[in-house]
Amino acid sequence: MKCKKLMALGLTAVLAMSMVACGGSGNAETSAPDAADHEAGAAAPDAAGAQEAGETGGASEASGVPTIDAITVGEDYKDLQASIKVLTNRTDIVDTVYKGYAEQFMALYPNIKVEYEGITDYEESVTLRLTAGDWGDIMFIPTSVAKNELSTYFMPLGDFAAMDGTYNFLEEKSFENVVYGIANGGTASGIAYNKKVWADAGITTMPKTPEEFLADLQLIKDNTNAVPLYTNFAAGWTMGAWDAYTDCAATGDPDFKNNMVHMSNPFSKRDDMTGPYAVYYILYEAVARGLVEEDPASTDWESSKGAINRGEIATMVLGSWCVEQFKEAGDNPDDIGYMPFPISVNGKQYAGSGGNYSFGINVQASDENKIASLLYMKWLIEESSIYLDEGSIPARKDGEYPSVLEAFDGVELLSNSPAPEGEEDLFDNVNNESEVGINNNDYPDCEILEAALYGTRTLDDIMDEWNQKWTSAQESLGVEVNQ
Amino acid sequence: MGKTKKSFGEWFRSRKVQKFLVIFTFMFVPLLLLLMYTYIPFGKMVQFSFYNMKYIGKRNYVGLKNYIEVFKRPEIFKSLFVSVYYMGGAVLQLALALFFATLMVFKVKGESIFKATMFFPYLISGIAIGFIFKFFYARGYVLDSILMLFGIAPENIPYWLQDTSINNISLAATSVWRYTGQNMILFLGAMMSVDADLYEAASLDGANKWHQFKYIILPSIKSIVVLNLILSISGSLSAFEPPYVITNGTMGTGTYFVIMNRLAHENQKVGLASAMAIVLLAIIILCTVAQKLFFAYVFDDGTDDESRAAVRRRKKQNKINQGLK
Repeated sequence: MKCKKLMALGLTAVLAMSMVACGGSGNAETSAPDAADHEAGAAAPDAAGAQEAGETGGASEASGVPTIDAITVGEDYKDLQASIKVLTNRTDIVDTVYKGYAEQFMALYPNIKVEYEGITDYEESVTLRLTAGDWGDIMFIPTSVAKNELSTYFMPLGDFAAMDGTYNFLEEKSFENVVYGIANGGTASGIAYNKKVWADAGITTMPKTPEEFLADLQLIKDNTNAVPLYTNFAAGWTMGAWDAYTDCAATGDPDFKNNMVHMSNPFSKRDDMTGPYAVYYILYEAVARGLVEEDPASTDWESSKGAINRGEIATMVLGSWCVEQFKEAGDNPDDIGYMPFPISVNGKQYAGSGGNYSFGINVQASDENKIASLLYMKWLIEESSIYLDEGSIPARKDGEYPSVLEAFDGVELLSNSPAPEGEEDLFDNVNNESEVGINNNDYPDCEILEAALYGTRTLDDIMDEWNQKWTSAQESLGVEVNQ
Repeated sequence: MGKTKKSFGEWFRSRKVQKFLVIFTFMFVPLLLLLMYTYIPFGKMVQFSFYNMKYIGKRNYVGLKNYIEVFKRPEIFKSLFVSVYYMGGAVLQLALALFFATLMVFKVKGESIFKATMFFPYLISGIAIGFIFKFFYARGYVLDSILMLFGIAPENIPYWLQDTSINNISLAATSVWRYTGQNMILFLGAMMSVDADLYEAASLDGANKWHQFKYIILPSIKSIVVLNLILSISGSLSAFEPPYVITNGTMGTGTYFVIMNRLAHENQKVGLASAMAIVLLAIIILCTVAQKLFFAYVFDDGTDDESRAAVRRRKKQNKINQGLK
């Protein structure tokens, strides 16, 4: 009776549906797999099963995806058809160097198509896209994913105990003995410097303590025209880089980061000038004594690379990944050197070495895409020239160290030990809750420079405040304080 | 059956139903977009503000704890004082825009070139403007070089971004530069609607340009002036791009938005940042209402025959007269 009225309503409803369909069609291509796949990807015991299947020669269709150590690149899955997308933060080389890697791989596996997507503002964009699930197949795992959340977004790559002998830095992206990410190589924490400027200033032996280092900077200021220490303040992350020295390099203790969660007042001054305080002491004093650039507020990271190459800047405190970039930035690549951080624990220097961003594979990808991603990832970290190109410590433990680390003779390289069971995300939680933001928030480090520059607060004031914030975070999270 | 069918057809073709259908179909898409991208996200944000949560991971309901914390943190309310610089900038910007618009309403040579040049900064993205001024203010770059051309010694030039007594002014100046042209165009548009005969009549009565501005132009465009002022003030409260791009909120330039961004993205305290956003919304609403009330008083014209000021004068005079009796 009222069919026309219904039709009229139907018409508008169709209009509405077509709108929704437009919005949704973009997702259809890489839509989430069925629930069974999801479970298989997320549950650790299944992964172990898959590993066995892989060892008995190629994974069967039923058990799904093998682990990374069970596949042989160049031999397995030669007829697999897949098209995978890789997300990266390196927008500067995504269309040149990274595309070149993809082409080399596609020559080996003609049926697999590898496509890169470069993302500016990587951390924030990727964190938001992760929750949507259809971001692609391989990404650099953003630091915002806490360890206990890894299995929600990334497929298990294998057993931690089995793979630990083969790869470096696995601990960073493992949870409950399952590996979810493999670092794209790693760096050692030290200080980049211009050898010529340091020699011209009359420095013959490398500094081993904070005071020696500051005295050397003073010599550079007095005897040369170079900026003794360039903080690159305006870039922000360059200030956050100081945090990387507070654990292994400053204490010689691979467990320091784990223990710090339970320490009362970890930022207090120690008599032998080690620990986090000593690291920030160097920054504070260098600024207070006028050993840094004239106007930190208007520094420029890109042009600073050329300046250190030309000898206008003597020193920059950054991870070893920066060395290749400094060498390429001008005509004097041989002048760029890298030295250990000037803190000695009982007369011995240490250097923290940590992984770069880790590769992770989308847990929601189809089995074909997962296998193709595994193949590409394994090829990239084992066969490609990526670590030579980037001057980083290779992902494989038996790989060769880059030549720039030659000055680290007699310096012990350490990396943070895995957190004890049940405390995997405790450091992240205390760190975020306290807002001290070790290795994830640059602003507190900026405050140290500001205080030194304006003379508004002493370093002890700042460290007291951090201790206080650390303590209240421990209290609000109910963390046991026993050291 | 046929009868009902016909009656439905008639009903369907009736003006009322057709009108409704047209309105409905045209409004549906914009309303859907508005709902999807404004109201649902806003509702979500209100919900987030009651949780202790990160972007990903588990969420805990904490009630009003986030709001209490917003009011307890000194750095959050300190950051509102930084907005005062931007408000000062907004007032200056409106005055400049009014001045230029008035100049152009009385015929000027090369008017369109002047207009285009003034308006151009508004078309550049805020991030790009940030980068432009980063180099403009950098030690030894554009601004310093210009000042040195005029013979000012380098040691007398302040550090534009480092010196806490002026760095907020430097940053606010970039937003004045960006928005003055846009405000000017809006004013000019309103001024165009003033009948040109009025100027002629006024000048015959011996009114100079200032009088014309004060008694003809300003009263005619007062609603657009008030609107611009309200928009500029609420814009100042939520200033973000200049401090974020140029100084990253360091050295005392962190505005409310920069602090909020830092808490949400670097410390992953999404619930707290959402609560901050809601509090800012409340502050902006308060400011807007206060301004509306203020201007309703200041710009009140009274009746058609007599301005409010004249009414007040007359009433005062009456009182005095009564007192004398």
